[in-house]
Amino acid sequence: MPGLGTTYGRGGATTSPKDLLNSDAILIMGSNMAENHPVGFQWVMEAKEKGAQVLHVDPRFSRTSAVANIWVPLRAGSDILFLGALIHYVLENELFFREYVLHYTNASVIIPEDFKDTEDLEGVFSGWNAEKKKYDPKTWLYEGVESEDKDKSASDGGHGQHGADASPDLNRYRQDLTLQHPRCVFQLLKKHFARYTPEMVEEYCGISKAAFLNAAKTYCTASGPEKTGAICYALGWTQHSSGVQMIRCAAILQLLLGNMGRPGGGIMALRGHASIQGSTDVPTLFDILPGYLSMPKFGEESKTLSNYIAKYGARTGWWYNFDKYIVSFLKAYYGEAATPENEFGFNWLPRVTGDHSHQGYWLEMLDGKMDGLFVMGQNPAVAGPNSGMERRGLSKLKWLVVREMVETETASFWYESPEVKRGELRTEEIQTEVFLMPAAGHAEKDGTFTNTQRLLQWREKAVDPPGDSRSENHFVYHLGVLLKEKARRDPRPRNAGLLALTWDYTIEGNHKEPAAEEILQEINGYTVATRELVPGFTALKADGSTACGCWIYSGVFPKPGQNRANERSSKDFHGHGWGFAWPSDRRVIYNRASARPDGKPWSERKKLVWWDESSKKWTGNDVPDFTATKPPDYNPPADAVGDAALAGDKPFILHADGFGWIWVPVGLNDGPLPSHYEPLESPVRNPIYPKRQSNPVANLETRAGNQYATSPDGRFPFVLTTYRLTEHHTAGGMSRTLSHLAELQPEIFCEISLEMARELSITPGQWVTIVTARGAIEAHALVTPRIKTLTIAGKTVYQVGLPYHWGYNGLVKGDVANDLVAISEEPNVRIMETKGLLCNLYRGRRAENAKTISELQTGLGAR
Amino acid sequence: MTTPPKPKASEERLDEIRRAAAANANAPPAALSSGDSRGADGSESYYGLPVLKPPTWTWEVPLYFFFGGIAGVSACIAFIAHLFRADTALVRICLWIGLIGAGICPALLISDLGRPTRFLNMLRVFKLRSAMSLGAWILVAFSGCMFFAVFSLELLLRGFAPSLFTPLLWLAEGSGAVMGLLLASYTGVLIGATAIPVWSENRKLLPAHFLTSGLGCSAGILELAGFLIPATQFIGFAAAGIETAIGALLEVKKKSADAPLHHGRSGWTLRIGGVLEGPVALVVRIFWGSLPMGREAAAICFLVGALMSRYAWIWAGRTSAHDPQSLFRLQRKE
Amino acid sequence: MGRTAFLTDATICIGCKACEVACKEWNEVPDDGMVWSGLSYDNTKALGASTWRHVLFLEQPQIAGPQISDMQNPFRWVFLSDVCKHCANAGCLEACPTGSIVRTEVGSVYVQSDVCNGCGYCVVSCPFGVIDRRPDDGRAFKCTFCYDRQKAGLIPACAKACPTQSIQFGDLDELKQRSKDRVQELQERGYQDARVYDPQETSVAGIHAFFVILGNPEAYNLPPAPEVPTIHLKSAWTSALISAVILIAIVCAAFAF
Repeated sequence: MPGLGTTYGRGGATTSPKDLLNSDAILIMGSNMAENHPVGFQWVMEAKEKGAQVLHVDPRFSRTSAVANIWVPLRAGSDILFLGALIHYVLENELFFREYVLHYTNASVIIPEDFKDTEDLEGVFSGWNAEKKKYDPKTWLYEGVESEDKDKSASDGGHGQHGADASPDLNRYRQDLTLQHPRCVFQLLKKHFARYTPEMVEEYCGISKAAFLNAAKTYCTASGPEKTGAICYALGWTQHSSGVQMIRCAAILQLLLGNMGRPGGGIMALRGHASIQGSTDVPTLFDILPGYLSMPKFGEESKTLSNYIAKYGARTGWWYNFDKYIVSFLKAYYGEAATPENEFGFNWLPRVTGDHSHQGYWLEMLDGKMDGLFVMGQNPAVAGPNSGMERRGLSKLKWLVVREMVETETASFWYESPEVKRGELRTEEIQTEVFLMPAAGHAEKDGTFTNTQRLLQWREKAVDPPGDSRSENHFVYHLGVLLKEKARRDPRPRNAGLLALTWDYTIEGNHKEPAAEEILQEINGYTVATRELVPGFTALKADGSTACGCWIYSGVFPKPGQNRANERSSKDFHGHGWGFAWPSDRRVIYNRASARPDGKPWSERKKLVWWDESSKKWTGNDVPDFTATKPPDYNPPADAVGDAALAGDKPFILHADGFGWIWVPVGLNDGPLPSHYEPLESPVRNPIYPKRQSNPVANLETRAGNQYATSPDGRFPFVLTTYRLTEHHTAGGMSRTLSHLAELQPEIFCEISLEMARELSITPGQWVTIVTARGAIEAHALVTPRIKTLTIAGKTVYQVGLPYHWGYNGLVKGDVANDLVAISEEPNVRIMETKGLLCNLYRGRRAENAKTISELQTGLGAR
Repeated sequence: MTTPPKPKASEERLDEIRRAAAANANAPPAALSSGDSRGADGSESYYGLPVLKPPTWTWEVPLYFFFGGIAGVSACIAFIAHLFRADTALVRICLWIGLIGAGICPALLISDLGRPTRFLNMLRVFKLRSAMSLGAWILVAFSGCMFFAVFSLELLLRGFAPSLFTPLLWLAEGSGAVMGLLLASYTGVLIGATAIPVWSENRKLLPAHFLTSGLGCSAGILELAGFLIPATQFIGFAAAGIETAIGALLEVKKKSADAPLHHGRSGWTLRIGGVLEGPVALVVRIFWGSLPMGREAAAICFLVGALMSRYAWIWAGRTSAHDPQSLFRLQRKE
Repeated sequence: MGRTAFLTDATICIGCKACEVACKEWNEVPDDGMVWSGLSYDNTKALGASTWRHVLFLEQPQIAGPQISDMQNPFRWVFLSDVCKHCANAGCLEACPTGSIVRTEVGSVYVQSDVCNGCGYCVVSCPFGVIDRRPDDGRAFKCTFCYDRQKAGLIPACAKACPTQSIQFGDLDELKQRSKDRVQELQERGYQDARVYDPQETSVAGIHAFFVILGNPEAYNLPPAPEVPTIHLKSAWTSALISAVILIAIVCAAFAF
């Protein structure tokens, strides 16, 4: 998310799968779209039938590759080398869309002299603090930004990063519209990627030069006024220690090619789960509040509401309205108890004091510092990184509540986990009290899903959940009622927030469910005095007269009875009239960029939104992602603020300067430009920066049980990558328990190349044991040419593919693949690296290889 | 339309699935792939997996073929013997064999059905193009004829209404003979007119073989029952001689569809059965046929061989269904 | 209603198996065993009494049309959803002695499970190896062409669920024409070995669920020249007749002398 958020302003897919029908070329990388988004993939197949070129770049020849026009096999983890080489190719061959780049991106902006690139400092940018392992990003700001503002630019990255950490006034920049100035972004970009050549790709990605050049030509020529290309990515990028920077490469490429905001262009970020977009919009993440507002961090920035607004708001661009959103949000939370006098209850919000991410608190759990945990709709005993260690962590809790439709491995760890079966943990000694609460399925409750194209779709309850199963709303609501009662009887200051919380939904039915539509209305927002629903976020105020649970969703329920998420009459190609896309039902965001600076479409073929001179409004086939009445030739006065400070040709309205950011001056923890670093475990040394093997800002959390191989490592010579299959659902709780799905892929298997099987004398189908520095599992060996043996820097590199769906209960069982993965944190979003690890592989079952495994693990512990 | 399905997965069924999955986890996969979905011998198929489904029939069916052949041919012998004024005792025992067979055969068939209680559904339709439909009706008709034949004969022997029962007996015997020959031969047509290559390729041989086999078995049973007369000796020689010829014919057939006749369990059983029915029975009859013991030995050899042969043909069908290449070669006319 | 058909196109199949699952969910078909086959991603292996849609995963050492994959050796992965062919002349229907298997008004071949007594003759009469008996149930089962859905004006569950419309459902003649057009289009695009699988020139006389495939039918375990087994009846009965006459002669001879 921050990859897209910082580059464009919002972290989320910029278009919809159906819009791929308009693409001339589609690059699918870091994604196995056909297998994991089969329904969305129909549009790719139709685009292909219409003549679009579909490219799939991936370590495996998967079901996506099988139907793509071009498959390019890639060493897992070498994505930035490939993408950087594409950027280099575009710049060298002048394939960039010049007019678009000039007007709509910060390519022309000049960066100050004290900035030093990784090319100058052998792998780090200026501002690197080796002791703290962090960057001070003030040298990354534009030339012209005031120096005292520069100190306010220090950020801790995070999910909300959209570059609005911009109390530095980025709207005061200097440009060179000839793109020749040696310190303009364009030239710095060229210099930064100068060594990302086709030769480098051949040697370190394992892709032949011819294949690379063919792919580059095919994709990069789908650019310009008449053509567009789209990029689709998913967890193949995000679950890497440089994941955000991989996405950044794609984002830069799309800006250079002029594909953003245009039909058939954009970046289709394929979220991994049915409503995971919703679970970051109205988040279950520790560092953001609904609508990607930042959770306040302990310290100066959160001492007062105005400090907080000063830090996260901006003088120019859309985030000027930040105060309206946070105040309305606080009013939604605390209702009458939120007044101007008490800063609308701002001090009742918790403060971030450390790493409270999944990895962060789990390690604290392991150290015995946590009492209890609610696990709802997740199965960390199988899905968590270093899942064996996570299961041990569960045994340190005093209590654990699991809300699920089946008894998952997380709920049953205390009597049937591998640790218990092997005698390493004893059930009698585990003190954790486990509560398994039955949960309702999706057809048994009202509510919305927000899918990968930011579309809210309401689901009506079809049947009552059976027995004691209840929805999340029910559980959280009634838990809240009980907690509020406790708070009433114990009126300490720390319980004031609980007491103040508005919790007044209508209770319906014999199951006593809170009315889900009321919750959606609260999310939409209303005028406090009259309880009238607001038509959208432009109606929100900072004076406490409006309340709104999630500003980006505002507009979903503009009038009583008009639940736009439940609308089902699609009026046009983009689906207006079916569901509600945030923001404001804009389907292709940044669509101002589909028109020229003068407001006319770039071409008839690729028109989407344009300026209508007669009605003096932006109009077209989508809701304009722009102030409707701002003319294309609008020139802001010098003292303008907010959106009025952005000219009529600045499509990226969330940014203080209105540009698409090829260069990210604020918001990312690991650099304004992407650099290639090897994964945390790699079979080769970093060819670009030998002195900086892996992402210097990534957090390894090295400790006993969470060790790493060296890079390279003679004990772990093969590259391991994990992934999903269509037939199963993530950790398997909903597929290994259903016979119709379980029978499709009943057993765990790994995929290896023909050459690897021959060299290790592995018979197709036999059991093999896979070992990493964290653990060992067994799987069947599927020997196939779909895993290509690569030659990297002159040596043979074998890759091992491993789907991760199995666990120790259900109709079909298998070892837990994530036992092999390490707990690590990418610098911005703290996601673990599952897509490129090192492993070893032996013939035979785990029990047969027990001696080898224990030798390896003893050797590691000693380090 | 469809009957209501069984109740949704019960805990029992779920446990069953878990047990089966756990048991199978250790079983090596039947056929394995290494990136090439052709069969192991490189010829084109889908991983060498079978195309056709093997017959679902169990032990009752070959036994039914065996008894059906005996019963049917016995009825024919009864009629012809009666025509040629043979010993009444001979006619009588032949008819009784027919009747007893007409009792055993339906029981065997009904037992083999997936839903035995629905056996009467066989009589819902009469389809000329379905050998099994014809077979059901043939069996019914045969049983009827045998019943009336035996009934008439027994009453005649006790002197009841000869003017009624004599014509009735001739009618029942005559139609019984026709039905009996159909009963003894249709089973060859039944398996010959299927998709199974080894059967369909031998569809002309099978009715001939089943009839001959039935003939020799009937005669053999008569000999074991004490009827060591020239007629049964003649029939015994003829049957064993024809079976020898059939056996030799099968040996020289070399089409890929015929492989189950020469290899594996079906191949060896067929050979041994064929040898017993053919050359062995023939030789024993030639050299020791003058002795009662010799004739009885020949009869026993023939009977054992016939039973083995029936089982062998069903097993051959199963093997043939599992071989995709024999089907493809047949259709590509190789 | 007119005659309806399936056109299943391997060149747009993505191997997702939604068809297998949708069919089982709608028709309440039991599971077919939890055994890992090791054969690519196909653990279903074949159609049967408890599998009415089966997705094949062909791995072949040749290229799919104009596809480019940077592999050392040519390779392609082709997917196809197999189904009961609903033959114009159906072996199972001809064989059925209870009249359980009938032709419906939409042209499909349908097993009436309340009539079937599990005799098993259809099983050996199907030239495609589709229909089979369920061991624990005793009766024979196969694809119903979602007859109940069609009568209610809906399309079959598998066609409904298929996300890429690899499974197309509609009027028989229209789809036959569409399949021909599709193959021509594919060949123009460089898929030289695209063809329609619809054995009209055999005694089966064409099938109502036909396919667009790449390469030879044998690679999909589809018989290249399937025949309805009733074509064997004439020669078999003739042999029976002749043999019976010879038998009568032998017996007569035995008793005459």
